[in-house]
Amino acid sequence: MATQDKPSIFADIDDGDVDQEDESVDRWRRNLRLWRETLTEQWRMLTDDLMVRLAMITIAFFMAVAVFAPFIAPHGPLTRQYEGDAGIIIVDWAEPSFMSAESEYLLGTTAEGFDIFSQLVYGSRAALLVGLVAAVFTAGIGTLVGLTAGYYGGKIDDTLMRIVDFLYGMPLLPTVIILVALLGPSLWNILLAIILLQWRSTARVIRSQALSLRERPFVKAAQVAGASDWHIISRHLAPNVLPLSFLYGAFAIAWAILAEAGVSFIGLGDPNTVSWGTMLQSSRAYSALDFGAWWWFIPPGICIGLVVISGFLIGRGYEEITNPELR
Amino acid sequence: MSVLDVSDLEVYYETETAPAQAVDGVSFTIEEGENLGIVGESGCGKTTLAKAIIGILPDEGYVNNGSIEFEGEDLTEMSDAERRRHKWEEISMIAQSAMNALDPVYTIREQIVEAIETHRPGTGRTEANEIVAEMFDLVGLDPERADDYPHQFSGGMRQRAMIAMALALEPSLVLADEPTTALDVIMQDQILKRIGEIQSDINSSMMVITHDVSVVAETCDRVIVMYAGKIAEEGPVEEIFGNPYHPYTIGLKRAFPNIRESDQDLLSIAGYPPELTDPPSGCRFAERCPMATTECRTTEPEPHHQGDLRTYCHYADEIDDGFRSRADDPETWRDTEAARSARTAAEVND
Amino acid sequence: MSKASFVVRRLLQLGVTFWAVGTVLFFLFRLMPGDPTAFVVSAQMTPEARQQVIESYGLNEPLYVQYMRFLENALTLNFGQSFHTNQPVREVIWTYLPNTLVLMLSAFVVAYILGIVLGVLTGWYRGSRFEKTTVVTALTARSLPTFYVGLIVLWLFGATLGVIPMSGMGAAGQTYDSFWARIFTLDFLHHLAAPAAVLAFYYMGYPLLIMRSSMMEVLSQDFIDVCRAKGLSERAIMFKHAARNALLPIITAAAIALGYAVGGSVLIETVFGWPGLGREMVNAVLRRDFPVAQGTFMVLAATIIILNFVADLLYGYLDPRVTYE
Repeated sequence: MATQDKPSIFADIDDGDVDQEDESVDRWRRNLRLWRETLTEQWRMLTDDLMVRLAMITIAFFMAVAVFAPFIAPHGPLTRQYEGDAGIIIVDWAEPSFMSAESEYLLGTTAEGFDIFSQLVYGSRAALLVGLVAAVFTAGIGTLVGLTAGYYGGKIDDTLMRIVDFLYGMPLLPTVIILVALLGPSLWNILLAIILLQWRSTARVIRSQALSLRERPFVKAAQVAGASDWHIISRHLAPNVLPLSFLYGAFAIAWAILAEAGVSFIGLGDPNTVSWGTMLQSSRAYSALDFGAWWWFIPPGICIGLVVISGFLIGRGYEEITNPELR
Repeated sequence: MSVLDVSDLEVYYETETAPAQAVDGVSFTIEEGENLGIVGESGCGKTTLAKAIIGILPDEGYVNNGSIEFEGEDLTEMSDAERRRHKWEEISMIAQSAMNALDPVYTIREQIVEAIETHRPGTGRTEANEIVAEMFDLVGLDPERADDYPHQFSGGMRQRAMIAMALALEPSLVLADEPTTALDVIMQDQILKRIGEIQSDINSSMMVITHDVSVVAETCDRVIVMYAGKIAEEGPVEEIFGNPYHPYTIGLKRAFPNIRESDQDLLSIAGYPPELTDPPSGCRFAERCPMATTECRTTEPEPHHQGDLRTYCHYADEIDDGFRSRADDPETWRDTEAARSARTAAEVND
Repeated sequence: MSKASFVVRRLLQLGVTFWAVGTVLFFLFRLMPGDPTAFVVSAQMTPEARQQVIESYGLNEPLYVQYMRFLENALTLNFGQSFHTNQPVREVIWTYLPNTLVLMLSAFVVAYILGIVLGVLTGWYRGSRFEKTTVVTALTARSLPTFYVGLIVLWLFGATLGVIPMSGMGAAGQTYDSFWARIFTLDFLHHLAAPAAVLAFYYMGYPLLIMRSSMMEVLSQDFIDVCRAKGLSERAIMFKHAARNALLPIITAAAIALGYAVGGSVLIETVFGWPGLGREMVNAVLRRDFPVAQGTFMVLAATIIILNFVADLLYGYLDPRVTYE
């Protein structure tokens, strides 16, 4: 009961305004200010939590690594290393430099002769690209579909929700695997396949939120005042569901990175890009496990784990702010 | 000997800043067979008081000082196991909300039998079922329906079931926290009457916690008016509602419709109770009292005794010198809002 | 709406979803750029054999005829035969599905028992050090990819210590009379232990976190106060009342999660070389054995769809308060 009556955190924006051209600039400025205040407040609450702070630092760290990868990585991720002046390709791996005095590679090399540290650094690019792009599209498509279905209801709602139901019937990884097998193994195809499935949960949640918002007085008032559907959706509904979109976006980062790693591990990764998943796949293909070359397969998994858990922690932290009952 | 003797009780809640002093220096007694009402706004500490007495304070709540003596034994000194034995058998409760006070996944019978079996391990199944049937009869429910789940009952029936459970072990003291708030007026009346009958049957005492003055007037012998964790005034029902001394009691009384004086203006007491983490040093009601003086804001009032009435107000002895007539005038209370905002404005300008 | 008409409506939805999944799969495989027959015909075949296969699949016929035939075959669970082994796809499914189910179910039982108990305890001892450590562990478990944890386990216990087998479901050369005779052998359990433990560790987090928040919600309700006032022991309140109430959302969540787990069996089966349906699907995709890929995919999807349906029914059955709007 309490949740239904809970005033919207953006209630101030929604004082039943109807557009009037000359006022619109002012209104936008006011909206902007409210938005800024709300976001500042939420940011403050979010960063109050130590775990969330650590998670944000982790993500920021990997983002910096991804951006400055060429400056950090001593070698190209797919550049074969040659031993000394003789120009002999390393056929076996080199051990990490802290284990063997002769090695000049911080984390050693792969059996193919690639520098593992450099691969790790470049791998953050693939991971963050997949995570962030998937998050934006998942949250975007999900929100749009959810709002449309929830606001219009009836046949539109039915149709859209049947599509969502259908998507819920598709197993995530097998579907991505089949799509990638058919479309060809590239990072963009993997991303496309992930996005195609992942927006389903955002859409479902946003729709139920929109369904209840639709009945709220400020929406009714705007309807009576003759505001257009688009106006109501963009000004009245969207601001109220946006916290939820952010939330699902944060979770989508984690899920997308896990999915990409899984698909790459199976051997359907992009052959021209190094990701943490493809690193694990090649370590397995070369039986690094049996030879005990742990420096090859341990680091990529730790990186995946760190980024994914950071996504989860930020999502959970945000969930606690937007849903105080969890606290 | 009194059934319950609470003296100088302090119950605090831990918060992120300072502890919230939810109950602060409260003393009173309940005699055998007596009904005591506790009234006050929400957040005045009445529910906390009840939880402390029955021993179900939440984790962050604790008894900071004082004692709760039940039939001569101090409950606050007891071990958990000892305390558990006293629960329900000696002190039971009728919970606030009829809707959620019963566990939704067990039948009413199972829940009553559970209480019986916990405290009287030797009781056989048939005997326990007899008690259930008897209690259902007493509260006016069909014993056939004891095997229903709570959601199959209406609100009024659920509250009756709650009462049946509370009285099943014939406790010496029943704490009723807003026993009828969720019910309509007619149902409320029936249930209060029924509680009264059973209670005199088994000769138990009762403490009724409510914000509804009419419930107290109907069921209680004596009343405590609480404000912000402290007792404002205490006395027999007729005295408290007929001839109150404390401005808060007077205001509270005038805030409820009265059938006998139907043309009476209802007033509302402006403002909110003080923060309990940082209570004011003087009288706790001073901030909202239209007649407060500097003394009220700085010095805590001593109890003023007048017959059976105990009043915590500096001006209780001036009650007949125009104090009551002023406090009884809705204009005084209306005035205060304007006056207060004027004062605040003045302070800001200083 | 009555319960019966709710079930009927859900059943109809179920049928529509099946149809949609099958149709999408059909067109996916056939509308890809390039020669559609390339996807159903192995490149190694002689031209005659190739033509024969194409005809036997009716691939020379118009698309709508193929589509109708596909639907017809799907109804009788006839997904054709493997390009690789010529085995009927149905047989392939029956060989691998039980292996997947055994692995998933044993992991699930362990995960849900542990997760529920830990969820009850963390919900009860809220704010304690124990709660914090457990929750962070659960989150970590859910963040590490199962195949990675699997790799580490294989490296530590398999390659280094040699206490678990590196791959498979049983020692080579062993044959058994039946599936059941096989799964009750020590050898089988020895092979099952590691993948099941890794999965259980991963799946445990979900029921744990749900149970914890469900417990918190239940513990804030009035009847818990009444239970405490009744003088019940802490354990009776924790398990008999709080946990029993908090359990409702878990049971439906478990049914749904099991569906997705079977669908997600791909990775763990690949790492541990477990001959299950997921690994078979991946292998089929990798060797372009499309009838098998299609059939196994349909079964994985069907598991999810059916278990979602079961979850809906369970919910109404377990919670007497549920009404069908």
